Amino acid sequence: MTAFAAARRHASGRGTLIAAAIVVAFVALLFLTGRIDGRKWQPFLELSTWRFLGEGLLVTLGVAGAALLLSMGFGLVLGVLRAALPGRAGWSVAIPMELARATPILTILLVVFFGLLRAGGSRDPAIAGIIGLTIYNSAVIGEIVRAGIASIARGESEAARSLGLSYIQTMRAVVLPQALARMTPALVSQLITLIKDTSLLFILAAPEVLSQGRAFVNFYSQQVGSVLLETYFVIACIFFAINYPLSRFSRRLEARRPAHERVHVLGEEDQPIVLAEPTAGRP
Amino acid sequence: MNLLPLDENAALFAQGYLTTLQLSIGAIVLSLVLGTIVACLRVWGGAVLEALTRGYVEFFRNTPLLVQLLFLAVLLAPANLNITRDAFVAALIGLSIYTASYVSEAVRSGILSVDLRQMEAARGLGLSQLEAIRFVVLPQAIRTVIPPLGNLSIALVKNTAIASGIAANEMLKAAGVLESRTLQFEWYYLAVLGYWTMTIPLAWLVGRIERRLAYAR
Repeated sequence: MTAFAAARRHASGRGTLIAAAIVVAFVALLFLTGRIDGRKWQPFLELSTWRFLGEGLLVTLGVAGAALLLSMGFGLVLGVLRAALPGRAGWSVAIPMELARATPILTILLVVFFGLLRAGGSRDPAIAGIIGLTIYNSAVIGEIVRAGIASIARGESEAARSLGLSYIQTMRAVVLPQALARMTPALVSQLITLIKDTSLLFILAAPEVLSQGRAFVNFYSQQVGSVLLETYFVIACIFFAINYPLSRFSRRLEARRPAHERVHVLGEEDQPIVLAEPTAGRP
Repeated sequence: MNLLPLDENAALFAQGYLTTLQLSIGAIVLSLVLGTIVACLRVWGGAVLEALTRGYVEFFRNTPLLVQLLFLAVLLAPANLNITRDAFVAALIGLSIYTASYVSEAVRSGILSVDLRQMEAARGLGLSQLEAIRFVVLPQAIRTVIPPLGNLSIALVKNTAIASGIAANEMLKAAGVLESRTLQFEWYYLAVLGYWTMTIPLAWLVGRIERRLAYAR
């Protein structure tokens, strides 16, 4: 493994340069062969375009931020409850969490949106979006918290209890601080998923960045023809600019941890990769 | 809600359910193949291919699937590359390319966990590099990453719902069509149940495999 890793580390600095060179050459080739129409990129030189997309981006980030804060709160409570409650009481927390995680987020968003409409509640797709994203991500974060708590060796909490700390004190002062450190890569990975999932609000017609892009395409298509591909590409680049630093951060944190301290949950593509090795917290 | 077997609405929903299944299975197979190839190119492909494949993996992992699918549907349509206007094909290709970027990361970490001396021993025994990869390194690498790959397949099944965003006629799209046709919102609940019949058994299976492999070590 070390030889592979060394070779990879050696190649990675050079790799960035080569990748940049290839991209530049590729774009130049497309341009020269007439595949790229300069006029279609014209809109992206206008300040008004970026102001318009920026408004959408603010909605995207606002929805993601609100959903993140809410689901961190709910997730922490759910995770601790799931770790603490024994037997049937535990199942009553676990089953709804498992069911939410087993449902595609877009389905949850549609159910919440139409459910709110029918119940005569909010018609605002951004509100429905925040609620739907919170339901789903609370379940995922709850599972991350549960796995984080389970990864702390039982001796830790037994020692704290025998020193006279209450259950809540043990959780707050001994278990959770350590668990939180182990959970961070998984939480940051889930944040990437959450940010990507906000693009689904486009389907509910909330004015986030993808919807703004579409509105803008309709505006320009009369002047320079369809700029759909160009707009989708630019929007993808905006998401990349936000998510790539997050994913690097997550991987750097995760690389420092020995395998048995790595926490992840099932069914989310952005979660850290944990290879089959003995899991901690197991007898 | 009328759900007799011969009901036209029920038939439409059942068709959507089957399409979701086809999309899931097709994209799982395609992304496994593509992701394994990409992983091998990243490890053994030399500097240029390493850089290219890394760029692909990072870009597709960090952008929303919906944006990728919308882009692909326009790109493949008659106005551009003129390959297909079939949303199912675009969704299949898009889901596969998206998931393959994750598969390649998982398989690559599996490859890096195989002892380098295995490769040297295989080469010393007279196997070509390709044979050594195919018969010695990959079988061990894939076995190590079965749990992450299973995890990705659960995520993929859930991601098929996003294909409704480009009007592929899968289960969620069918539920939407039926909702507007019958004005019965319950079709969405049925879609939720439909997804559960796929994701819950899959999650159970993957969890079981993960635990078993954890004990086997």
